[in-house]
Formats: sequence, structure tokens, C-alpha cells
Amino acid sequence: MDVAKIREKLNKTLLMMALILGALLMLFPFFWMLFVAVKAEGHGFKLDFVFAQPLFKNFTAVWTNESFPFSRFFINSLFVATSGSLMTALFCSMGAYVFAKKNFIFKETLFWMLLSTLMIPGMMYMVPQFAIVTKLGWINTYRGMIIPHVANIFGLFLLRQHMETIPDALISSAEIDGASEWQIFKNIIVPLSMPVITTVFLLSFLFQWTNFLWQLVVNTPDSLKLTLPVGLALFRGQYATQWTLLMAASAFSIIPIAVLFLALQRFFIEGLTAGAVKE
Amino acid sequence: MKINSRKTHDNLTAYLFLAPFLVVFFVFLAYPVVYSLVLSLHKVSWTTNLYNVFSDMKYVGVENYIKLLHDSKFWWSLIVTGYYAVLTIPMTVFLGLILAILLNNKLPGVSLFRSAYFLPSVLDILVVGIIWTLIYSPHFGILPKILDSMGFRAFIDKGILANPRTALPGVAIAMVLRGAGFGMILFLSAIQNIPVSVYEAADIDGANAWQKLIFITIPLVKPIILFLVIMGTIGSLNAFTEIYSMTQGGPYVVEFMGGIQGATKVSGYYLFEKWETMNYGYAAAVSYILLVITLGISLVNAKVMRKKH
Repeated sequence: MDVAKIREKLNKTLLMMALILGALLMLFPFFWMLFVAVKAEGHGFKLDFVFAQPLFKNFTAVWTNESFPFSRFFINSLFVATSGSLMTALFCSMGAYVFAKKNFIFKETLFWMLLSTLMIPGMMYMVPQFAIVTKLGWINTYRGMIIPHVANIFGLFLLRQHMETIPDALISSAEIDGASEWQIFKNIIVPLSMPVITTVFLLSFLFQWTNFLWQLVVNTPDSLKLTLPVGLALFRGQYATQWTLLMAASAFSIIPIAVLFLALQRFFIEGLTAGAVKE
Repeated sequence: MKINSRKTHDNLTAYLFLAPFLVVFFVFLAYPVVYSLVLSLHKVSWTTNLYNVFSDMKYVGVENYIKLLHDSKFWWSLIVTGYYAVLTIPMTVFLGLILAILLNNKLPGVSLFRSAYFLPSVLDILVVGIIWTLIYSPHFGILPKILDSMGFRAFIDKGILANPRTALPGVAIAMVLRGAGFGMILFLSAIQNIPVSVYEAADIDGANAWQKLIFITIPLVKPIILFLVIMGTIGSLNAFTEIYSMTQGGPYVVEFMGGIQGATKVSGYYLFEKWETMNYGYAAAVSYILLVITLGISLVNAKVMRKKH
């Protein structure tokens, strides 16, 4: 072997080592959470290998905790995220369809309004949205948690961009066949946009699942509608030093998203990068 | 006549399709921008009915804004927010770019690494913050322990987050490690769009790897940098959950404008505290100022980057 080849091999090995180290560093908190979550009570902060007996004891303990029922929080989270993102995907698709394929009065104005609202940081909405939800009597309700966030402007733009590429001929031939607008939307537009709709659905799911601030604001601590992050925050208030339980509770929030992400990565990446590529 | 009715029909269909989206948009996204301004000119009255606070607020004109001008805690929160942005944005851009360049090589398992780096950025900020609080804890946190065994004994008693010098950098490191994968994905797709011929031409001219990075890669990924800077700016002004879960704004030891300030109290957290204590009018005024600052920064960002282009 000549020198250049050896050098290239060495470079590659070094590069691999750097990448592995980097991955371990970035995923370290994740591994640490799992490690502490299976440790025996009182060993959460010790650098030893004393594990809970049975191994998943901490998980069952938080899952059935009476004052902080994580099974209930989990179901709430699942319901809020699923119904919220279904509504988001439907509303955005319907809106995107007419933005992509129809001409209507005030189209430009509306478009401009939507675009400029995208620049507003979500934090600034906390007070006025809380006031509106209070006035509507939606405190401690699912609709209060879900509905204010289903008008996802980014999702609408993403879908519109895609729907513009659907040939007009498909629509007009369906019109000639006597299809109604709703039929065209349901039978032509939606099936052809399914990958992008999936992306919008998953991104909203992720958003609703992790939307801690809003769910904290819209629920009082005694609410029955608490989601995982809010439940976890309140749980920590009482069990601040019980790291084994805290990490097991954390895992209930982290693992479903991690699994969902690893299984459907392509959709996440396409959606998340679409915003920047547009520039 | 017929054309007109056709037009009306089209408009009607379009708005029927748009209706669900638009109703939510106007009630919860457009109207709040105006409503927030209205709220900022009001104050919760002392005699308020707790179940109907927003219906009997008292009009106070610009009183909230005048109070804000003299509020040392507000100014301090802006400084902390700026510092947080300075800590997070360059690190995110730098780390994202490095990872993307490393991953742009032909290596076994590249897609596995890509997933591993990207995964943290979709995880719950609150939970990631809680995990890092454990890692940073005094006495038993793994990081202070490691630092202690290396001879840095300063952290073992207070941990990272109770020390005013390291608290915000500690939060920033946790969030950068969480978010860098997002930058990496963006850089990676931009780098892969650069034609190979550009690099080959540079090779012929005898450019080294460093020169290729500075003169080819970085200029061509500039739009991504701009995007990450804008997102990072909005992210800093939005920062709340990481502070809530890691430091609650503390430690409260910094002196500024005659008051004791929280070393990590970013403006998002300050706003939350004003909401929590039912100072709704004042909180609305804080939001409004932050909104104006955000829009200003975004405009400047866009202009600066366009000029350099």
C-alpha cells in the first residue's frame, strides 16, 4: 500500500471516531435518562449499577401514581396531539387547495396577512390567547388546548406549494364529469397530496405533543386534561429529588416521539427543511 | 350576468373551503395582535371578579409602557435574551455546519449518524431540560463530578446552574446540543446541492480544503445561515420552556440598575411571570415591545445578509 492510501484510511478512521463521539455526546442525555429510569430507588444520582427490581418498576410506579396519573396524562397527550393534528391537516389542506387552484376576492391580501403573521414569535400570543380562551370559557378543556393552534400557516404554505404542481387538466376533466368541488378535493387533491399531508400531520403532532407553555397556561393544576409535559412539571414540584421516578416519567414523553421520528423520518425531514429551502 | 354569478359562486366555494382555517386564524392569530395592544392599555382592577378578569379591566392609557421604561427587570431580561442569542446562534450554526461537512463524506452508516444527530431536535424541550438539570446537579450530577475529578472543583458544591456565570451557558449548551441537528440537516441538503464541478475546478486551481470551505461552501450556504440566525433570534425571544425547566430564571444574584436580577431571566420567562402574577395589561405591553423588537431584528437581518450577498 502506498502512503496516500494509508493516509486516506487513517483520515476515514479518525472521521468515524469523531462522528461516533459526536453522536454519543448529542444522545447522551437520552441514554442517561433511560439509565437513571431503570435504577433502584435512592440510586438515581449514584454512579453505580444498582437497578430496580423488577427493572421497569419505576415506569409502573409513575404510570399508576394516584395524584399524578401518567397513564391519564399520556392519554390526554395522545388525544390532544392526534385530534389537533387531524384538524390541522384537514383545515390546511382545504385552505391550501383554494390558494393553489382558485381565484377569489382578497386572495392577495389574505396571503400577505398569513405571511406576515408567520414572523410573530409564539410567546407573544400567550396573553391575548389566554384572554380569549378565558372569555370563551375554554379553560381546562380539550378545545381550549387544541383549537387555537390548528391554523398552521406554515402547513398551509407547504401544502399550497405542492398542490400547485397538480395539473389543472385533472381538475377540469373531473369538473366535466360533473364532480363537485368537494369530490374533486377529496378524490383527486387529497390522494395526490398524501405525502405532504402526512408531513403536516406529523409536524403538528410533534408541536402539540411538546407544546408545554400553552397547555400550562390553559389548564389549572387540578385540571383533568393535563398533558405529559405539564403533568411532569407538576410531578417534579413534589418529587424533585426522586430522579429515578422523574426520568421514568420523562421517558413516557420522549420515547413515543423518538419512535415516531425514527419510523417516519423522511416526512419530518422534508417538512422541517422545506421552510429554509424556500428562501 | 352569467359571468358574475359564476364569479360569486367561485368566491363562495373558495371561502367555504377556507372557512375553518380562517375562523381559527382570525380569532386566535390575527385578532390577538390587535387585542394585545388593547390589553396593554389596560390594567386588572383591584376589585376584579376573578372569574371575569378580562371583562372589567381598567383603561390606563400608556401607563404600562411608561412603567416598562423604568423597569430594571425588563431591561435586564432584554440583556439576558441578547446574551442567550449570542451564546446559542453562533454555536448552532458552527456545530450544524461542522456536522454537515463531516457527514458529506462517503462513509459507512452515514444515514444512521444523520438520524442520531437529528433525533434530539424533535424531543420535548421541557424533558431535555429536566435531564440536563440532573446532569448539571451539584454533588451528584455527572458533569460536576467529571469536572471535579479533572481538578475543576468550583462546580461540585453548586453545580452548573446555581452559578451565575455558568447558568445561562449551561442552558445554552443543552439547547445547542439539542438543536444543532436541525442546522446540520439544512446545511447538508444545501451542500449536496453544490455541483461537484465547482470543487473540481477549485482542485485544479490548487485550493486546499480550508480554502474550499471559506470560498465555496460558506458563501453557497449563506441563505441557510440567514435562516438559522432568524430562527435563532425568534427562538431566543421565545425562550421559555428551557428556562422554566432548568433554572426558573435564577440564580438571583446579579445586581443591575439598583435591583437584584435573575442570571437567566430571559424576556420570555419575565413575560410568563407577569402573566402568572395576573399582571395581564403589563404582560401585554411586554409582549408588544418584544414583538416590535422581533420584527425590527428580522428586517435588519434580512437587509444585512442581502447586502453581503
